[in-house]
Amino acid sequence: MATTAVDRVFAPTRGVLQEAGEMMILTGRTIVSAVKPPYPYGAEFVGQFMFALRLCWFPLLVSTVAFGYEAPGLQAANFLVLFGALDRLGGFFVLASIREFAPFVDAIVLAGVAGTAITADLGARRIREELDALEVLGVDPIKNLVVPRFLALMLVTGLFDIYALLFGVFGGVLATLVNHQPLGPFWATFFNNASTTDLWGSVVKTTLFGAIIAVVCCYKGMTAKGGAEGVGRAVNEAVVIAFLAIFAFNYVFTQVLLATHPALTDIVK
Amino acid sequence: MSFEDSEGTPIAGDLADGSPAAAAGPELTTRPAPPPGASEEEYANHSYKVYPSGRRNVVEFDNTYKSFGRNQILRGLTMGIPEGMVSMILGPSGTGKSVCIKHMVGLLYPDSGDVRVQGESVPDMPDEQLFEMRKKFGLLFQDGALFSSMNLYDNVAFPLRQHTEKSEQEIEEIVMRRLTEVGLGYSRDKLPNELSGGMRKRAGFARALVLEPDILLFDEPDSGLDPVRTALLGELILEIHREMMEDAKAQKKPYLPTFAVVTHDIMSARRVADYINVLWRGRIVEAGPAQDMLNSDNPFIRQFLAGESQGPLTMD
Ligand SMILES: Nc1ncnc2c1ncn2[C@@H]1O[C@H](COP(=O)(O)OP(=O)(O)OP(=O)(O)O)[C@@H](O)[C@H]1O
Ligand SMILES: [Mg+2]
Repeated sequence: MATTAVDRVFAPTRGVLQEAGEMMILTGRTIVSAVKPPYPYGAEFVGQFMFALRLCWFPLLVSTVAFGYEAPGLQAANFLVLFGALDRLGGFFVLASIREFAPFVDAIVLAGVAGTAITADLGARRIREELDALEVLGVDPIKNLVVPRFLALMLVTGLFDIYALLFGVFGGVLATLVNHQPLGPFWATFFNNASTTDLWGSVVKTTLFGAIIAVVCCYKGMTAKGGAEGVGRAVNEAVVIAFLAIFAFNYVFTQVLLATHPALTDIVK
Repeated sequence: MSFEDSEGTPIAGDLADGSPAAAAGPELTTRPAPPPGASEEEYANHSYKVYPSGRRNVVEFDNTYKSFGRNQILRGLTMGIPEGMVSMILGPSGTGKSVCIKHMVGLLYPDSGDVRVQGESVPDMPDEQLFEMRKKFGLLFQDGALFSSMNLYDNVAFPLRQHTEKSEQEIEEIVMRRLTEVGLGYSRDKLPNELSGGMRKRAGFARALVLEPDILLFDEPDSGLDPVRTALLGELILEIHREMMEDAKAQKKPYLPTFAVVTHDIMSARRVADYINVLWRGRIVEAGPAQDMLNSDNPFIRQFLAGESQGPLTMD
């Protein structure tokens, strides 16, 4: 039958669209619920914040230093040495680290470490019917579980961006030192190119990354089904979707930021 | 029927001998058509008889349909849970008893048809009203659904802390009474994953009770319990119901406490039930006060209530 053939082709797409739609709705409901009194989620918020902090600080430290040292650090340094322009590494770091690498490493570590923990936790509670039990006991899971995770992840991801920046730039410093170069020119070109717009742009961007990770991971956890195996699947899907959503959002955000702040595209010597 | 009307009718076990309805048994004038996609033959054993309980229904299903993908679960379910009685919902494994319970508290919504609680349609309720309505319920989930991050004491205290202004001392008194009743007084500090399935079940039972709500739903309270504890739990249910009835009457509450128990244990059904709903293939086969049901001549009901292998119900 024609309709079933069409159905079969489009069913997966429709599933994706439907999920995307439901995540949008969850985002909306989360924001409304966060703003509207009462605010019973304080303790859970602090708990989740500390939890994410504890889980992520070390993986993030290792990844940012390693990543900052390796990719924009060593590789770019090798390249710049060809032109005898290693002193420009600092300027390059503003472009690379503040605008792109630090936020990315930050988001990837947060999604991979804290996001998966959220999905696994909520998924397990869904499977054990704990979430149903909460609802029947008059506890709104969005207000009491999603909102605190949403706020905590936004705050943590935003803060960790600065942390990632610092350690990323430290990686660049290492790369400069490994090439037996003085640090003076590194900092000079770094601060010549750095602007406050870069900094707040980066922090705002990662805060929104945090929001995306939280919504995707909460959604996947709360809709997990099919036993323990289903929780595993949900975690897996949550990471993939969170990464894709972050890549897409990053593209849009960077374009908008560059378009509205043309000064950012000028490279200062 | 209003509360005053039901004052005079006998309650609990003594319904069986007195009620005039028991003798006659209602005759259906029109037989409902089988659900779409099913043959009349599959529903041959559904006599759809409902022997009158003499009470108004606090929970009503009205031609409710629910499917999960292609899996049709409720297929035109029309069922009532009469006020002030201990009702049993019986049915073969996988017919949708748990699904049915989740419809009552608005955790699942019907595809079509209606579910009413104290006369109000659950699917039509806005969120706020739904949260209010849920306070009338206590629910024991099939797997206990204890909060894994809290110990037993906090689990049982949770509804009290959530919905009442009681002091910690009052809460402790209530919680310990309930935990002791189900034999878990000494395990108050244990976490759910340190308990056996049966112990989790009993803790879930205690948690459902603490608020003494109008409507208590127990999804297989006795599965995973040993025979002695099953019998004791049956008695406990009756005793708690009796207590709550007295309280409700003394306080002139607008609704008498209503229990609905899903079970596979025919013995406890015989001992505990005032009213029995038998569910199969997404519809009620027959329903009525316990005595009427035990005397029913419907082959499915006879097979099921006697737990025999011969009869309309087979493995598939
Ligand atoms: N959320 C759900 N999604 C998909 N299918 C479901 C869902 N909940 C229940 N089902 C299906 O509905 C059917 C009835 O389930 P239900 O748990 O209500 O059975 P039951 O009558 O309680 O059985 P038992 O006596 O074994 O507990 C099962 O086939 C189950 O697979
Ligand atoms: Mg069940």
